[in-house]
Order: sequence, then structure tokens, then C-alpha cells
Amino acid sequence: MNAQNIENKPKVRKETKNKIKVDFERSPLKDRLKAKFLSFFFLKKVVWYIFRLVLLVGISYIVLFPYITWIAGSFMGPDDFVDVTVRLIPKDFSLDMYKEIWAQNNYMQAFTNTLIISGMSALIQTFICCFVAYGLAKFKFKGNAIVMLAVVFSLVVPHRTIELSIFMNFRYFDILGIFQFLNGGGINLFGFTINNSFLQAIDIIPDTMKNFSTGGVNLLDSYWPMIILSVTGLAFKNGLYIFMLRQFFKGVPDELEESAYIDGSGIMHTFFTIILPLSIPMMVTVFLFAFSWQWTDQFYTGLFFTNTKTILMDDIVKVPTTLKIDYAGTALYEDAIVKAGGLMIIMPLVVMYLFCQKFLVQGIERSGLTAD
Amino acid sequence: MTQETVKVNKTKALKPVKKRKSASLDKKKARGGWLFVLPFVIGFVLLYIPMIYDSLLFSFNQIEIVPRQGYTLKPLGWGAYSAALFENTQFVPTLLKGLQGLAFDIPMILIFSLFMAVLLNQKMVGRAAFRAILFVPVILSTGILGGAQFTMTQTDAMGGAIDDGSGTSASEEIVSAIDLQKFFEGMVVGQELVEYVTVAINNIFSIVNRSGVQILIFLAGLQSISPAIYESVQIDGATAWETFWKITFPMITPMILVNAVYTIIDAFTMETNVVMSYINNTKSSIIDASGLAMSWMYFLLVIVIIAAVAGIFSTFVFYQKRN
Repeated sequence: MNAQNIENKPKVRKETKNKIKVDFERSPLKDRLKAKFLSFFFLKKVVWYIFRLVLLVGISYIVLFPYITWIAGSFMGPDDFVDVTVRLIPKDFSLDMYKEIWAQNNYMQAFTNTLIISGMSALIQTFICCFVAYGLAKFKFKGNAIVMLAVVFSLVVPHRTIELSIFMNFRYFDILGIFQFLNGGGINLFGFTINNSFLQAIDIIPDTMKNFSTGGVNLLDSYWPMIILSVTGLAFKNGLYIFMLRQFFKGVPDELEESAYIDGSGIMHTFFTIILPLSIPMMVTVFLFAFSWQWTDQFYTGLFFTNTKTILMDDIVKVPTTLKIDYAGTALYEDAIVKAGGLMIIMPLVVMYLFCQKFLVQGIERSGLTAD
Repeated sequence: MTQETVKVNKTKALKPVKKRKSASLDKKKARGGWLFVLPFVIGFVLLYIPMIYDSLLFSFNQIEIVPRQGYTLKPLGWGAYSAALFENTQFVPTLLKGLQGLAFDIPMILIFSLFMAVLLNQKMVGRAAFRAILFVPVILSTGILGGAQFTMTQTDAMGGAIDDGSGTSASEEIVSAIDLQKFFEGMVVGQELVEYVTVAINNIFSIVNRSGVQILIFLAGLQSISPAIYESVQIDGATAWETFWKITFPMITPMILVNAVYTIIDAFTMETNVVMSYINNTKSSIIDASGLAMSWMYFLLVIVIIAAVAGIFSTFVFYQKRN
């Protein structure tokens, strides 16, 4: 017994202070490799690995291919569109499309205007949605459920349906008829008019403003409609942001705030110094969504900017006059020009996406969305 | 001693110290809650409800814009609604077609996005890159780029975008139903299923492009499942298939509900949607009451569908009790 034990004991080859090298009795390398690589389990793993890779590469190809064709087409000269041999690599290389769109369609102006609108509304929306979502997630008050229902409702009703009344409300902007009221008219509440003869008698509004404020103030062709919608959390898909952030805040442990309260920190102070720094990945995600959805937006800008003075991103998607030629490939050529315009629109977004991509995944992973 | 007490009593009687009841923590928190949601509540009450009210009002009235004065309303009653339902021969068929499309798209998008989320949740080489690529449509294929000018057909996506100009282009479909039928001949699979799969494969481009947000939501859901559950199941000897159906699927059901509702809303508000484009094309101007009436009817129908889907799904939803 004892002797056997000694025999089976691993042979010590080398012993130093920190390391010990030992010889075990093992099955030969060949058998070990066989057991590892010639098993059904390994085969299954390899097949699954290859299947998964092929599938993911294929789907990535489907996602990226249109952009690749746009990029390829945007570098082609007019001749390439009638050349049968050209598919993706241009023979007649030219940068005309970019140059002309840049110069003639006022790219820089469109870029600045859109940057102001999207940056501003995305920033406001991120903060307002954080506020509302935090209130809904962490405070129990009467009406919490009703407010949440209102948020879902504002997400469900598409703004397309109420397009006209959005337009009318900002064209004749007059919340509760305040301007009309000051002007001596009555307050208009859902069709009922409450008259006020008192203000009519004293007549506080100067005459110059009177003319202007009949039927409300015209807020169109300014940034105000976007700001007002953002500040009240009613802009495009804000309900979704509030929902996402609410789920995120629900996952933040209450103990954090409780300890802050005990240490004498107020509610606002706690929110700004403890909660907001925690939720930066989630806020970046929301900002990215808000920014890029506003950047490519056509609906709101089309609705609120009725004149042609303010050049926005969607105005650059047109064929510059200098590039108009009449030949066999006109349709294809002009299509490629439009798509080059599209590329120039998404270029800033792609740059931003590459920077924020890490935050996006991180934010989503931490959100732990649940439906309760 | 007695004098003192009398004195104290006197002062008390003279000047009853009104002890201000300090608000309890709950009350303070409730107040804080209102403070936080205030911007939304103000906007909702003062801006959104009037907008909804106006929109409904406009659908019952003919609007005439008076220059410099605002607008006047000429009542139409149910005119626009009955015209759309009974006089317009195209509206109801378009609506049905739209709903049919919805019924086709939603299961497809849900299945695809769940599958992709499960794939992207596994550890592998280049996972970050694949995730980044699959989220590209979320950022890029909305608004202008989701419009008709930029919408790709299947042929475009598969390499026909740069045509040679000779007029011949690649065939429209990747797979034809006949080929697939031959493939399924031996199996006992119905004609309908074959067709469903064929159409789904031919529409893969639009499905991939529309399931970005859904993949995100599913991924978030998968991340929130505790790894301990998977470990214990593995120790008990469950296969991957069993693990998916017994653990992953039940735990992800709340996400399926969220995604179903989100997909319905998204599909219904999409500009390229059959009904939406029909309404946009038929109304003569933005102030046309008939367009409004049609969109309100469509919206109410979708609300009913959302309620029905949510009702059916919520019976299957599994909530893990955390507290």
C-alpha cells in the first residue's frame, strides 16, 4: 500500500522557491488530441461556429451592401453608367458629385442648420427624458401610473395623424388663449369661451402687438416648435426614451439614494451628483438615438420650416444643375447623385456612431429592460 | 417652582406655538416625483391634449383659412368618416391589405430579432463588430433615408443597384417558390408555410433593416437573465435546445410583449406603409378632413389590435418575482 503510493506520487523535476515542476503520468499526446478533436461534441461546436459565422457575415453583408454600392456609384463619372463592364469599381473616377453637391446645394449651410436643430433638441430631450423617467421610476406618488399611461399614449399616437393640429398649434400658437386673453378676447377652453370684459376695458396690449397676436403667434420658421416639443418631452419617439430610461433607473439600487438622503443631500442634488453620472452610457444611447433620428428627419422640419430660406439636410438631396446631362444613362446617373447626397447626409452620423458605439452597447446592456 | 410653571403655562396660553408639521419623507418624495415629471405633464395637458382634441375636431369640420385672422371651421358631422367608409371604394381594401402586411411582418421581425439577439449574445470573435454593423440600420434607415428615394429593393441589395443600362436586370427574387417546393416535397409541409418562408427570404432586406431596435431590446433582456440559472441548468444536464425553451424563452417573454407592441407601432407609422402612403397620396391638402378621418380610423383600428395582441401575449408572459 505504502509502496504503491510512493510510486504513484508525481515525480518532482525541479523545485524552486515559488515554482515546482512535476511530471504526471498522463495518456500520450496522440490520444489526448484524439479525445479532444475527434469527438461529436467538438464537431458540433465547429459546425455551429461556421454556421454562425456564415450567417452573421451574410446578414452584415445585407446591411452594408447598399452603402457600398452608393459609395461605389458616387465616385463614378457619367461614362461608367453606360459601361456594361463597370459594376462596383469605377473606371472613369471623378469627385464631381461631392464637389457639386458641396458647392451648389449649400452643404455647409445645411450642415450647420441641421446641427443646431438636432444638437439642441437631442440635448434637451435627453435631459428632459432623464428627468421624467427618474420621476416615474423612483417616486411613488398618486398619478404615477396615469403619467406613465400618458407617456405610452404619446408614443402610440403617431404624429402623422395629428400633423395638421401640430401645424395649426404652432402657426397660431396660443396656449389656453393667453395671447387672445391679454388682447381682450375670451379664454378658449375646448370650445367654451369665457369672456373677460375687464381686460377688454383696460386694454393692456399695445396696438402694434395687437395686430400681430390675432389668433396667436406664428412660431413657424423658427426653432421654437422643436424646442417646445423637446422641453415637454413630446418630440419624436420621446416616449420610447422615457420608457428605456425608466427601466434603467428602476435597476439602480434604492440604497444609493437613501444613503445620500441620510447624509443630508436633497432630491435634486442627489439626482445631479449621484444618478446622472451613473447613467452616462444610457444617456449617450438616448442622445445618439435622438440626434440621429432628428438629423435624418423630414417630417418635423418639413412641417415647421415652410419657407425655403432655411436650408436643411433634406434640401441637399437633389441633382445639381451643372451635373444635368441628357444621355442614355441619365436615370442611373441622377439616381447615383441622389445617393451621393444621402451619403453626405449620413457621413457625420457614421463618425458619431463609431465614437458612441461602445456606449450604445454598454447602455443597452445595462438598461435591463423589463416590461413590468 | 409653582410660579415658574404658571409662567410657562401663561406664555403657552398667550402664544400657542404653532408647530409646523414637517412633511413626512413619503410626502416629500411624492412632491419630488411631481417635480420631476412636471415638464411632461405640463406639455401633455397644455399642448398634447389640445392637439389631439383639435385633430379630432378638424376631422369633423372643413377648415377654411382666413388670412391674418386664423381659421374658421365649417361642420361636416360624420361626413368625412362615412365618405371614407362607404363611398370610397379603395380605403377599406387598402386597410385590409395593410393589416395583412402587418400580420405577416410582425411575427417575422420578432422571430428574426430574437434569433439575432441570441446569436449576438454568445461569446465569439468579432462580436462587437457584428453588433455595430447590425445596429447601423437603427441609426441610418429612418427619416429621409427611409424614404422612397433611398429604399432598396431586393434586387438593389443583391447587387443589381448599378445596372449596366441594357435594361436587363437580375431576376427579382432570390428564391422562387417552385425551387423551395421541390426542396420541401418530401416533408409534410403545407403550401402556405412554403410561401410564407419564400416571401420572408425575399424580404430579408427590409426585415433586417426594420429589426434594429427590437434586437437591442432583446439583447438587453438577455443580458438581464442571471447566469446562475444557466449554470444550474447546465449542471443538471440540460441541452442547449432545452435551455433555450425552458429558460431563455420564458425569461424573454416580457421583451416579446414589448417588442410586439413596438413593432406594431413602428410598422403602422412607417411612411412606406400601404395605408399611410394611400392616405398621404389621396388627401388633396394638409387641411383635408377626409385624410384626417381616415388616419383616425386607421389609428383606432391599430389601438384595438395593440390591445388585443397585448392582451393575448400578456397571458403567456412570465414574470420572475424579484421581491
